[in-house]
Amino acid sequence: MSGRFFDLARPSRQHWLGYLLLLPAVALVALIIVYPLFVSLDLSFQKVGMATLSAPRKPFTLANYEKLFTSPDFWNACWVTIKLVVVVAVACFAVGLGTALLVNNRFKGRTLARLAVALPWAVPEIIAVVIFAWIFDSSFGLMNWLLVRLGLVDQMINWFSSPTAAFWAVAVTMIWKGYPFVSIMTLAGLQSIPEDFYNAAKVDGASAFQRFRYITIPVLMPVLGVTMVLVVLWVFRDFSIIKTLTDGGPLKSTQTLSIMTYEQAFGFFQMGYAAAIGIVTLILCVIASLALIGRKSQAMY
Amino acid sequence: MKRTPLQSLLLYGGVILVCALLLFPIYWLFVTAISTLSEIRSLPPSFWPADPQWETFAKVAEERPMLLWLWNSTLVAVGSVALSMSVSVLAGYSLSRFSVKGARPLGLFILTAKMLPATLLVIPLFGIFRSVGLIGSLWSLVLAHSTLIIPFTTWMLKGYFDTIPRELEQAAMVDGCSPLGALFRVVLPVATPGLAATSLYAFVLSWADYAYARTFLINAQNSWTANLGITTMKGEYVTDWNEISAAAVFVALPILAIYLFLERYLVGGLTAGAEK
Amino acid sequence: MAGISIQNVHKNYGALNVLKEFSLEIADGEFIVLVGPSGCGKSTMLKILAGLEPASGGRIRIGDREVTDLAPGDRDIAMVFQNYALYPHLTVAQNIGFGLKMRSTPKTEIEQRVLAAAKMLGVEHLLDRRPKQLSGGQRQRVALGRAIVREPSAFLMDEPLSNLDAKLRVHTRAEISALHKRIGVTTVYVTHDQIEAMTMANRVVIMRDGVIQQIADPDTLFNKPANLFVAGFIGSPGMNFMRANAEAGMISLFGQRVPVPAAPPGDVIVGIRPEHLALGAGKASFTVKPTLVEGLGSEKYVYFDPGEHALADSLRDEQRGKGLIARLAHVGPVAEGEDLTFSFDPAELHLFDAMTEKAIN
Repeated sequence: MSGRFFDLARPSRQHWLGYLLLLPAVALVALIIVYPLFVSLDLSFQKVGMATLSAPRKPFTLANYEKLFTSPDFWNACWVTIKLVVVVAVACFAVGLGTALLVNNRFKGRTLARLAVALPWAVPEIIAVVIFAWIFDSSFGLMNWLLVRLGLVDQMINWFSSPTAAFWAVAVTMIWKGYPFVSIMTLAGLQSIPEDFYNAAKVDGASAFQRFRYITIPVLMPVLGVTMVLVVLWVFRDFSIIKTLTDGGPLKSTQTLSIMTYEQAFGFFQMGYAAAIGIVTLILCVIASLALIGRKSQAMY
Repeated sequence: MKRTPLQSLLLYGGVILVCALLLFPIYWLFVTAISTLSEIRSLPPSFWPADPQWETFAKVAEERPMLLWLWNSTLVAVGSVALSMSVSVLAGYSLSRFSVKGARPLGLFILTAKMLPATLLVIPLFGIFRSVGLIGSLWSLVLAHSTLIIPFTTWMLKGYFDTIPRELEQAAMVDGCSPLGALFRVVLPVATPGLAATSLYAFVLSWADYAYARTFLINAQNSWTANLGITTMKGEYVTDWNEISAAAVFVALPILAIYLFLERYLVGGLTAGAEK
Repeated sequence: MAGISIQNVHKNYGALNVLKEFSLEIADGEFIVLVGPSGCGKSTMLKILAGLEPASGGRIRIGDREVTDLAPGDRDIAMVFQNYALYPHLTVAQNIGFGLKMRSTPKTEIEQRVLAAAKMLGVEHLLDRRPKQLSGGQRQRVALGRAIVREPSAFLMDEPLSNLDAKLRVHTRAEISALHKRIGVTTVYVTHDQIEAMTMANRVVIMRDGVIQQIADPDTLFNKPANLFVAGFIGSPGMNFMRANAEAGMISLFGQRVPVPAAPPGDVIVGIRPEHLALGAGKASFTVKPTLVEGLGSEKYVYFDPGEHALADSLRDEQRGKGLIARLAHVGPVAEGEDLTFSFDPAELHLFDAMTEKAIN
């Protein structure tokens, strides 16, 4: 038997393999995520228009951050982002939870219903935009026709010209795209609850509502927590839907931080400033998720 | 648990109503695609066209480089999935089997990577790709999409490998395999369903990107991916909704197909990691 | 075929010492059983022997080769796992032949040897099946086949019977013993079940918390346990333990004075096996009221209270509780709560030091 030094099968060398296997991932991630992140950070501290990496570095400055915190557009973007996050997250939860509870019952065609209910998840966001841009069309869109027919409004709403209306159009589109995720996660959580828990409760005389409150909800809490964070993060970061539906308008009523970052970078070519906004957005994301699930859940990742 | 007929009626009725409501937009897309322009531009809307225009699909494929767009999306997806998976499989396996110093920081990093807004990373990546001349090339997307995919696939694969008993590799090693040999000859064949599910999820992630495609490829029409191509069909003032809907159906179909056939695996992959 | 020499092997996980200095010389062809409760270090020792885990110190030789840092595949050993660890994507024949294939054995030879091994274990009719189509017992036999086909210097077995139901366990136990007689390969077998240890081993190594308690053949273990733990571990139901006070070479047990020349003055722990208590008067007799009687058909277990002889809490086995058990074969009805006379032979008593728990001769 050759005693090769690099024989990773030898007991004393077996743990080397652990490091070796991680190397490609670490290298690639360092190259395309870590390095760019640092470049971003670096850019945010420079007055840079178009990022040209070969050009000499501009002097360190806090101007971008100062501009950011004093800019009404930034605070508007924050406000819009928070509004959107809250509205979409709450609605996704309501619809997602509701559909999951509905479909969790035993009935014929249950698998089909489960599949159907989560279908919007599989529709690419751009396609969802095509669908809802048409539904919210001001002249011939289905939504306007429906609202007028039902007598809820007097005349057609110009969805994409009105700031409030545009916000709701974006929200509805995101809710439709977002609720299936909550549905899927909730269903998985519901199905992990052993039948025996409910049986024992029934024997103890618990009503359906009590069973829901004392068994279903506590067991679901961790899953719902994780799901909530993921939904919030998704709304925070979304670009495709808002950009193609309203591009942040009208009058910046749908300009989230994400959209603002992009506009500054590739609309106005103020990449230093844009990078600063992006960094701040990232920090807000981290704070938001920590606040929602706390440090103990980091073990999950 | 017997239900009263009324309860059954309410349940079935509820399910049907909810499904109909939630799936209606997809149906509407399809209906719009086969309607005539005059039907579209009139009220009340017709819920099924009097004269379905199936030719719209062919027309769109001819008039627009639909197939080229789909091809580009596929190339990029295949490329980024291949790159990401090769790296993630090894990393996921390592995290599953070895207690590596620095596993915790790595886990935290993966977590942060999932929180990264694409709009933040796109800025430096733009700068980097510009300096190496990758702007306009599909390779820029292959790399960019990997930033979206790797945080998820590594986590999913680790969770999946955790379910495969270590004794399998141990038996293989006693039988004479090297540790890497054990991974490739024994663990990976057994992990095939998990690998397939994770790859498909990665494919969906790549297919869905718009931010990177728009930023890197906007000036290279021949490299447009499907998402990018479709957005250019939306006119400034007037849009041919039937045509854009038909194009949208083309783009949505592969993903819907993947979903319908493999929902079980996809969902399993999504939830497997989350519950632990 | 070779002996195994284990010298001062120990294992630490950081500050945690899971295996203390372990030394053992195993003769060629011997069947050694490592037995002990969970966490005693037996599986760790087996994994170190297999090369699946590195030792923190010590040396291992198999035959005349030093294998301490050799890869598992280079040690000329075969292993049988608790969960069989059959390759799910391969057929039974491919499973059995996998090790041979890894060693570039010619195809025809592989087929021959696989068939021979399968025949020996009675699974030759399953060669084309996949593991998931087999029952638990069949899977275990395929795992055994995979081990024997390579004709290794030693077999390592990690609780191979734990996943089988009771009847199958008894049957497979006998099969493994028969196989060992037939092939005669040195075997190291790990289990938590003392019955397997007693029935299969040439010698048994009892372990607890990483430390070897005693190395001996089954009979010696049963008749001359080295300490309290070994005495209580071997035998089912386990040995009865009682507290008594030795004075001038005598103790008083249930009112009977018993000579114990070897005992130093002071507290002493007395042990007597349930089967050494007989019904009726005898060399030393006493009367108690049984608290519980369990009838098994062929024998009865009679539980009674030790009274003044109850062990201190710190020494008591939690699972066993306070009661003493008598194991009576072929007796008539025994009533709970009614006076019953037991007798024992003082020669069958075991004495243990109350502080060190070691046996007193």
